[in-house]
Amino acid sequence: MRRIIVILMTALTLTSIYQTCWADEISQSERRHLFREGAKLWPVYCAQCHNARPGSEFAPYQWDAIIMHMRTQANLPAQNARAILEFLKASH
Amino acid sequence: MAARLFIDSAHFIHSKGFFWKMRGWASILLSGLLLSGWSVGEVRAGDSDSSELRQIRREIQKIKADEDRQRQFDENLIGELEHKVEALEDKNRQIQKTSEKLQTQSSQQFQELHKQISAGPSPSEFARTFRDYLGTHQFTLAGAVAGDFIYDRQTATNTFALDFEPIVLYRVNDWLLFEGTIEANLPAGGSAEFTLPVATAQIFLNDHMVVQAGIFDQPFGDWYEDQSPFWVNRFVTAPLPYGAEALVPPTDLGVQLRGGAQWGLLGQDFDYTMWVSNGPSFVDEPQPVVGQAVNEVNTIKINTNGQGYGARARFYPLPLDSGLGRLELGVSTLNGKWLDRNWYNSWGIDFAYLRGPLQARGEYLQAYRHMPNSNADNRQGWFIQIGYFLNQVQVPFAHERVENFIHRLEPLIRYSGVNQRAIVQDEIETVPETGFSGSPSIWTPHPREVAFGLDYWLAPSIVWQNEFDLELPEAGGRTFSFNGNPTPTSMPRGATPNDFAFLSQLAIGF
Repeated sequence: MRRIIVILMTALTLTSIYQTCWADEISQSERRHLFREGAKLWPVYCAQCHNARPGSEFAPYQWDAIIMHMRTQANLPAQNARAILEFLKASH
Repeated sequence: MAARLFIDSAHFIHSKGFFWKMRGWASILLSGLLLSGWSVGEVRAGDSDSSELRQIRREIQKIKADEDRQRQFDENLIGELEHKVEALEDKNRQIQKTSEKLQTQSSQQFQELHKQISAGPSPSEFARTFRDYLGTHQFTLAGAVAGDFIYDRQTATNTFALDFEPIVLYRVNDWLLFEGTIEANLPAGGSAEFTLPVATAQIFLNDHMVVQAGIFDQPFGDWYEDQSPFWVNRFVTAPLPYGAEALVPPTDLGVQLRGGAQWGLLGQDFDYTMWVSNGPSFVDEPQPVVGQAVNEVNTIKINTNGQGYGARARFYPLPLDSGLGRLELGVSTLNGKWLDRNWYNSWGIDFAYLRGPLQARGEYLQAYRHMPNSNADNRQGWFIQIGYFLNQVQVPFAHERVENFIHRLEPLIRYSGVNQRAIVQDEIETVPETGFSGSPSIWTPHPREVAFGLDYWLAPSIVWQNEFDLELPEAGGRTFSFNGNPTPTSMPRGATPNDFAFLSQLAIGF
């Protein structure tokens, strides 16, 4: 039990450090690249289980939560999830 | 001579405008001198004339010199004044220039401000402002609601049913998400019944690892996690291996490690899920027998049960740009001791394929339960379904409204079945509910079902679903019945009558 707690605490610490580094702002060119990939992925990845829902259905901050949920639910690769998120948010 | 001189002098003085320029006392003095000179001249006309004349000339010279100085002084004064005027004019010109420049700048700034106001804030600025306004604790509500009409011929049942499943998402930051699903349905003869099928914390460790802890949909195969929401499932009912006689528990309580990665071109992915949970348990009272139903969730693990260990891997071989569609191939397993020294093992394979309007999916799974006092409880289940969206079908000569109606249709067909050695009579539940027709023909050791569906899509997440089920159970197997006794009676199950059912559901994903 103690070992599990130590492992979990270590994982959480590493997560915090990693996420702090990862949270840097992305450049405009990266954003455009993500958008283009997202436009290709959105109709296929979403439609594999259900109809792809338009970006206008939710506010950008809601898409942040929904894409996190879908990344877990469908095990989406993180980079592809970011691309779909960028595409959906740009619909506003 | 003196008179002549006087006249000349007077004339000279007047001709030069002397009196206008000289001061008063000087004029009077000069006149006096001239008059006195004239009177004296009568006496001493000879000698005195020349000296007086010189005197007068000196005076005149002096006056001329004064005049020159005065003129010089005036000219200097005029010069200075002209310089001052020029300096003032320069200054004025500079002020005018500065004023014009300021006016131009003001005008430009005003125009820019006007443009900015007309254009409004940029989306990113607005998003930032709106996010600030909402605060950091932001909840997102998603989920689904379904209203059903259900008819079953064998039980002569026709009823309405309702189910509501909101999903609450709380995103704390980029790496932490909380999720809860509350299910509210209306059981027969009672008020609303609430359950909590999902309540998890999701920690995003990195791009390839997510920890999920809590009560979650069983990540076995594709069904419970990805296909069970009302508006996601193309049919009203679940396929038999995931329906009334499920082979694996629908939800479980534990911890998962999961993630995905792109291994090749865009679309070529791989994903995995591993989990430890409370594991499967069965309705094993008053004693374990073959065919008992799997409990829906093992919320609190009793001491006689071991942990459940599960794993799933899925592989996506087709690149997105190949134009061949998207294919998923998966394999899953769940294992654990459901009772002291008695194992439960299950495994399954699944596929899903999507290409344009065509979608197909299918699974095969089987479960083994080691029994303490009899032969093993083996079960197998499968389903395959195909649907085709008519949104790209050209309808010649059809009215626009008719064509629009047809473009919203999606016909479907599904075949599913389960094989098990027995069924427990006491567990049979024929009361219909959302997503379940209540047909007794499903509660057999070898149920088979052919389901025809016709979905009408009002919006991407709003669908009116119609399903016609043919229940075609095969003969064989046994029926156990406790009927209040501690030991069951066992009888062979003969032929079971076929049945059909019709379900119509309006499902809204929000």
